[in-house]
Amino acid sequence: MRGRSGEIGTCGEQAGQPLVRPATQLVGERPETTRRRHPSYAIGTVHAVVPRVTGVELHHGAASDVGLVREVNEDAFLVAPPVFVVADGMGGHDRGDIAAAIVVEEFRRLADEGYDPARGPAVVAATLLACQARIADYDAGQRAQGARDFHAGTTAVVALLIEQSGEPKWLLANLGDSRVYKFNHGRLEQVSVDHSLVQELLDAGTITRSDAAVHPERHVITRALGGSGSTEADFFVLPLSAAERLVLCSDGVSGMIDDRTIEGILAAADDPRDAADQVVAAAVAAGGRDNATAVVVDVVGLVAETPYDSERQRVSLEKKLGALP
Amino acid sequence: MSRSVSTWSYRPGEWLAIFGAATTLLLPESEKQRAAQLWELVDGGAGFDATLDQVLAPGLSVLPAFVLIGTGEGPTKVIVRGAGVLASLTTDVETVELDGSTVTTWVERSLEGVTALSVSVGGAGADGPDHLIEGGLVRVARIDLPPYAAPGDLEPLAPGSGTDEAATELFSLEESSPLDDEADTSSVSHPGLDPMPDDPATQDGQDHDDADVVWAADAPAVSPMAPPPPFAGAPDPTPVSGDHDGMTRGGGFEDEVGPTPPGIPGQPQAPSITRPVATLVISGGESVEVDRVVLIGRAPEARRFTADEQPRLVTVPSPLHEISSTHIEVRPGSGVDHGSAVVTDLGSTNGTVLVQPGLDPEELQRGVAVQLIPGAIISLGDGVTIQVMNP
Repeated sequence: MRGRSGEIGTCGEQAGQPLVRPATQLVGERPETTRRRHPSYAIGTVHAVVPRVTGVELHHGAASDVGLVREVNEDAFLVAPPVFVVADGMGGHDRGDIAAAIVVEEFRRLADEGYDPARGPAVVAATLLACQARIADYDAGQRAQGARDFHAGTTAVVALLIEQSGEPKWLLANLGDSRVYKFNHGRLEQVSVDHSLVQELLDAGTITRSDAAVHPERHVITRALGGSGSTEADFFVLPLSAAERLVLCSDGVSGMIDDRTIEGILAAADDPRDAADQVVAAAVAAGGRDNATAVVVDVVGLVAETPYDSERQRVSLEKKLGALP
Repeated sequence: MSRSVSTWSYRPGEWLAIFGAATTLLLPESEKQRAAQLWELVDGGAGFDATLDQVLAPGLSVLPAFVLIGTGEGPTKVIVRGAGVLASLTTDVETVELDGSTVTTWVERSLEGVTALSVSVGGAGADGPDHLIEGGLVRVARIDLPPYAAPGDLEPLAPGSGTDEAATELFSLEESSPLDDEADTSSVSHPGLDPMPDDPATQDGQDHDDADVVWAADAPAVSPMAPPPPFAGAPDPTPVSGDHDGMTRGGGFEDEVGPTPPGIPGQPQAPSITRPVATLVISGGESVEVDRVVLIGRAPEARRFTADEQPRLVTVPSPLHEISSTHIEVRPGSGVDHGSAVVTDLGSTNGTVLVQPGLDPEELQRGVAVQLIPGAIISLGDGVTIQVMNP
């Protein structure tokens, strides 16, 4: 089943259909169940790429947890400055974890090979198309092996640095209900607009925001990678000054704890690694009904000489973990 | 209307034809929703390449047939795809026939000096009468530019006896039989549109279903706000019923829901990038063309745009912070504002004052778009003014 809160074992029943999980049996390649109680830190490793967007110092942290209910973590994330991604794979029996991993791989390639910062939206759109094509190939391969109606799918939320009129800016893109928030002067604001049924009902004025949180169809999304639905992402451009801190997260976070809780954690945690860790921990503590993933990115400032220092971050992390004196 | 418009003729049929200023697009009858989505683009004056991008966005494999014609600047371009789809281009020296059934992808031709252009897509109505059209979305079996005028089949195109009567009758709302057509419950019919030709088949009011006008607009006389194109499925929020995973299954929800239009909820969607409708001269000396959404402020943010219509962000100095981070939006108008720029205050803290030539200064109301006249001055605060000029 899709890594979505409270949905395990219920989605088919509510529809009056038997719960179908053909792929595991047919394909038989689901990995050993991994259940991490402690979210992992992601250590910044890649920083020497995209020389054209330099001078911006980014610190980041990331955490992901399978949650208390799911057996597999189908969320995936990428921290490869200046590219950051969270993907929430859908439909466990259809291997949403593969779809999410494909998204991360494609954007890692973008970060590794570099991109033209003046053509941000086109670059991201092309990368999403490549993801879509690879997921379709994967689907086709699974179907060829006998998995009928096989559809892997995933959300994607992306943040990367671009340039406009010679200025570095954040380009954000989303597909599905994984979110990106900005945090500035102690205030958290959701930037992305969910591609979900409840968001459409909200926009239409049919339901209120409090209805949305408990709406029975709140996990139905209207755009995603994979499948035959729309794969057109929404894009956003923010000046760096508009967001001291960005938060990318899966709905295992935003569906479990409200924005005010996230805001409180972000305000209290100076280090983005602590912030990501605590946000995910709070989502798990609130019930952990879904895989929970958060990536937190801080714009430290516009610096001319020293680029992002992953070494410093690694050393300070190892100190934190007690590996160094 | 500042743009030049080609007058086509069409024969009622089953395909959906969108006539725009620079492009004409034909889609099979099964592509009703896609036609609705592309109508705004084509009607907004989008060029050949931009339209083709959007037509192909969902992939070629799901679109068995289409015709795209570019009649903007430069050579006439035609793309033909699908069985039974034929196009004929005539120049002074030759006549070129394109047949979409001969290839697996599409046939494309680009020709200078085209004097006549005809496309037929087969199906019912191939022998029907011809009607004139300048812009809009109609069902067709065949289209011609310039209007079809074969001997014996000639329609009296000039206003003649009975023309006004026929037009009035065809578009009177109580008689608006396209609305009664069950297959076309989303049809919109409007009074005061292009005059229809004198057509014996419709003159007596017996054959309105054959006319099957889905939406025809763009005559200068149109004054009511243009309604958005029919958006199939939008009122039906039960796309993937029972699928709480939000999984996209089988046929997908695209066919049933359609993507949420981006932009400000409740406002018509901004047309994609078009030719400039105005130039903004900012008091610092910078000059910005309004060929897309332009966002102006102290540190402007662009919200919710698609990959190919990235807004222009214009940063203006505001040492006293009188100007909000994203203060106003200026964009090419749609509907009745087509061809002009419109300005909207995006909820700025200190407001925006607009002085239009010959009018008293007005304070913009948050979220309410106002059409800009050349010579207008927009004042944001901190001494920043923006002058609106012709492009």
